[in-house]
Amino acid sequence: MKKNTLALLRMLAVVLGGFSIAGLSNADSSIARQSIADPSNAVARPTIEELKARRFLDDYESNVVFGYNIVMETERYAGRYTGNRLRCTSCHLKGGTQPDGFPLNVAGIYPKWRSKNSVRNGIGLRIRDCFLYSLNGVMPPEEAPEVVAVAAYIHYLSEGEVIGRPPSNWGVPTLPDTFVDPNPVRGGIVYKKSCAVCHGADGEGIDPIPPLWGADSYSAGAGLNKIEKAAGFIWANMPLGQERSLSHQQAKDVAAFLHLQVRPFNPREGRLKKLAERIYHWLTRSSDEDKQ
Amino acid sequence: MSARAAAASLLREALPDISWRRGVNVRRETFAGSIGAVLAIPQAIIFAYLVGLPPEYGLYCAAFVAFIASLFGSAAMVSGPNTAVSILLGLTVVQFAGRGSPLYTDCVLILSLMVGLIQLGIWLVRGAELFRYFSPAAITGIKAGVGILLITSALEGSLGLSPLTSTFFYEKFYVVIWGWNELVNPYAATISAITIVGGLAMRKRWPRTYIINALLLGSVTGALIVGYWGPVDSQVELLGRVSLQAFPLMWPRVSPEYWVIIEGMFPNAVAIAVLGLTQSLVIARDLKTHAVNTVDLHKETFAQGLANVLSPFFSTFAGSGSFNRTNVAMEMGAKTPLAGMVGAVAVLLIAYVLGPLLTYLPMPALAGILALVGIGMIRWKEARPFLQHRMEGAVYSITIFAVTFLGLDVGIFLAALVSIIFFIAGASKVAFDIERKDGLEHIAVKGNLFYASLDRLSQHLHANPANDTVLDLRRVSYCDSSAYSLFDTIMRERLQHGGKLDVIAA
Repeated sequence: MKKNTLALLRMLAVVLGGFSIAGLSNADSSIARQSIADPSNAVARPTIEELKARRFLDDYESNVVFGYNIVMETERYAGRYTGNRLRCTSCHLKGGTQPDGFPLNVAGIYPKWRSKNSVRNGIGLRIRDCFLYSLNGVMPPEEAPEVVAVAAYIHYLSEGEVIGRPPSNWGVPTLPDTFVDPNPVRGGIVYKKSCAVCHGADGEGIDPIPPLWGADSYSAGAGLNKIEKAAGFIWANMPLGQERSLSHQQAKDVAAFLHLQVRPFNPREGRLKKLAERIYHWLTRSSDEDKQ
Repeated sequence: MSARAAAASLLREALPDISWRRGVNVRRETFAGSIGAVLAIPQAIIFAYLVGLPPEYGLYCAAFVAFIASLFGSAAMVSGPNTAVSILLGLTVVQFAGRGSPLYTDCVLILSLMVGLIQLGIWLVRGAELFRYFSPAAITGIKAGVGILLITSALEGSLGLSPLTSTFFYEKFYVVIWGWNELVNPYAATISAITIVGGLAMRKRWPRTYIINALLLGSVTGALIVGYWGPVDSQVELLGRVSLQAFPLMWPRVSPEYWVIIEGMFPNAVAIAVLGLTQSLVIARDLKTHAVNTVDLHKETFAQGLANVLSPFFSTFAGSGSFNRTNVAMEMGAKTPLAGMVGAVAVLLIAYVLGPLLTYLPMPALAGILALVGIGMIRWKEARPFLQHRMEGAVYSITIFAVTFLGLDVGIFLAALVSIIFFIAGASKVAFDIERKDGLEHIAVKGNLFYASLDRLSQHLHANPANDTVLDLRRVSYCDSSAYSLFDTIMRERLQHGGKLDVIAA
């Protein structure tokens, strides 16, 4: 328990002022003071490779490494809760370090209110949502070690960020209005020309390139299933190596094309309830017709 | 015995003995093992949850620890994940790392290795003899106390709460009672309530398989509830995918940096080793009285220790003999270690086949099963004879109190201590039968004569130095040197005063 509290305190400290973990554990206060004076002055925090090379990791550090492993190889390290072939890093590019590619240095903006589920969302709930919707799996419990580890990794990435202010190049860019509706037919043509080389003609993907639709892709409840968000992501990050080569309109068209494809259903809807409602409607309608 | 003979007998115990293969009924043993495996799967998942590790670890424990213990053991005892051992593993390691974190997993594996090594040490010094003195009242008390702990630890899962930490177990009930309308998830509570009530109703009818039936009932309820309201609205926790490997070999991470943690875990490692061996040996002793095959307690100690030493290398945690799974195997007709080995393999096979279904196993149903296992461990029928006896009643009550309020580790040591104290108190009681026939005093002594029990006898003999006394020791089972020196002194005293002491030895 004591260890746990210590790790929590450290996470807090990380977010609060950009203290360095190294600064805290080595009691090298000059480094810590420097970073308070100038948050942009990046403190030499240990890289993941350095952490992996160490012979002993404390609770927080081992969780950071575990979280990194989950983000990079989700099916291997958090396979208990995933339901498709996507990995965290499929959308949070380069392990969540790519600006404009859903970077993960977001610990400072949680907890926050989200219109999606109309409750205050802690970082834990946000991570659990990702497992349920984007990874189309089972929602892990709050205290699941996988959730704690990814939270620790997000805190590690968020060093030096300011609480309450979204980090720069957060999420994906919002594309300006093009005054033309997104057109899935034109999007299909763009997809065949620019995307199908890697993602496959049927969006099936080949490891490590993620599938874009079908049973092995994100569900209809995922954030990427929104056209604006997907368009911003595509424009800023795709095709890999030729980022921002598509026009805004082309990106929106491709997003609309992806939106129309078959993918796992939205887990928000209870399937049996929907079925019961259909049957009820059908029964009541037919009885109304009988009366007439 | 010469050193060479001693080494030879140790070696005989350390090698697998497959003399049972003559005349074994393979079909019956296979059947018993497979039925046991079906029962072992939900238990393995629950016990892994108690340890604080993913379900795979529990299944590997039910497979590999059980297999090794059966291969090197001599009895039809089924080993594997165990309630009390699992709780203690979790309670020990949570002091050093966050529950379930990578460091936590490392620590559980190291602790399992330590437990196994301590048990092998106990085997080397012939410690199995000591476990004879662990009184049945203390063991029943530990089981009942663990049952209470299980019921309280099932509370969070069955009501859909976040994990609560409390100093004493009953504090959780206060929290739940006062905050039920905000805390309790009605969907989860419904699933667990149906599991528990259904299980209790089926217990009389199917005493062996009611756990599995209750789990099926709870899973179907859970599937209906989650299917109707959806996973988001109902917020019912599901088990998730269980990915098994046939040979999950690994090398536990041990480096000098772990030394501080190892030192901190040592007292609890001893407690776990003793507790695990106690349960295994009580089962083995039980088998020895009931079953036809020959059970060697030292061999069982070695088998259990070896299985636990090897457990971290198969990515799992320490286990011990299991009362309920051994009982099921026995009732299905198991007589040899073959049943345990078949069961171990069957666990992996069945869990692998059931894999996709296990993903959607609702956790409230599993928590309900945990409560059922807890209720099953509090056996009033077993406790009643102890409560009628004053000393055993005291051992039983002290053990339950210590386990529930002071912690399982303290409870075990206290139970051992109290049963030894009461054993000594009972053993030092000596009865005299004094008859006088025409000037000749005849004293028949019954009990053990040793330094702690001599007081009354020596008082009596010193009081009448001129008497002619015959001391009948034929019903004395043990006589130590201080007793002999007392007789010596008395004889000399009698000679001076004109009396006489004759001793009739056994």
